[in-house]
Amino acid sequence: MEITFKILRFDPDKNKKPYYRKYTVKVEPGMTVLDGLNEIKWRQDGTLAYRRSCRSAICGSCAMTINGVNRLACNSQILALKRKTVVVEPLRRFPIIKDLIVDMDPFFEKMSIIKPYLITHSPAGLRERLQSPEERKLLDEPVTCILCGACTSSCPSYWYNKNYLGPASLFKAYRFVFDSRDEGTEERLRIISDRDGLWRCHSIFNCVEACPKSLNPTYAIAELKKKIVTTKL
Amino acid sequence: MFYRWHVGTVAWVLHRLSGALIVFYLVLHIWVMSFLQKGPESFNRVMHLLENPLFKLLEIGLLGVVIYHSLNGIRLVILDLGYGMAHQKKMFWAVVVVGIVIFVLGAVPLYPF
Repeated sequence: MEITFKILRFDPDKNKKPYYRKYTVKVEPGMTVLDGLNEIKWRQDGTLAYRRSCRSAICGSCAMTINGVNRLACNSQILALKRKTVVVEPLRRFPIIKDLIVDMDPFFEKMSIIKPYLITHSPAGLRERLQSPEERKLLDEPVTCILCGACTSSCPSYWYNKNYLGPASLFKAYRFVFDSRDEGTEERLRIISDRDGLWRCHSIFNCVEACPKSLNPTYAIAELKKKIVTTKL
Repeated sequence: MFYRWHVGTVAWVLHRLSGALIVFYLVLHIWVMSFLQKGPESFNRVMHLLENPLFKLLEIGLLGVVIYHSLNGIRLVILDLGYGMAHQKKMFWAVVVVGIVIFVLGAVPLYPF
């Protein structure tokens, strides 16, 4: 079956503004959008630029907007989209470097703001810091995050305020605030209750719809809001 | 660069719009009430103007706006407390259905014709 790929292209050396270019790809059942992009790059137009690596939804490189929703290209079968035309765009509100490649630096800077590492004040002791299975269970969701950026780029609060920490970074904050071994809760809650922090979340749920790992950052943010309200800072 | 409108997006946009309209109404309401300062005659003149069916229809519109904003506000409070996260879409449709029922009950007595 022939499917048209309409791809947003941009080369900073040649173009002033991004523009759409169409390609026709012969699609077999089971082919993913990433397979389609490879087909275009390898056989039709070698200048097309995009990130990819693992092609099994674990590296988080190929997040992009496909038919108006953020997804992983490697995790989206073309025929399952049920459209004759597949529109592929880079993650919105992230600066475009070239074609579908966006600058992830602002995203990772926000990740580092919330101190994404275990903070302890008590002495380390001779053994590991142990957790019960129940305590570990709280972290199941946030540790599944692959840092692809699909959620933050889908968030209307982020579209209108680039300083907003965004769902991915707040989800990471949740991962440490609710870690029984972590002792930096107060420090971290102070950081995320900033004016560009979690109060910018209006429970729109775009992040939940976008997450390729079916995680729920909105729930994590709501739990953090409750934690801040019930903690004396 | 179109991004799909999910149920949550629609709920949020409507919430923002209805909120802005309610603020606009509040200013208008205070302005109308300020005619009380100018004595009973001028206040009665304004009140007479507001008896126009057009304003009655606007009032019905206001009812709808307030109902949506309050019911969706309750939905957001419940969600922010961490409950019903998996059911946020159903909760939106509940807001719509309950909202329409209350709206009809309230709008019928207000209908000027």
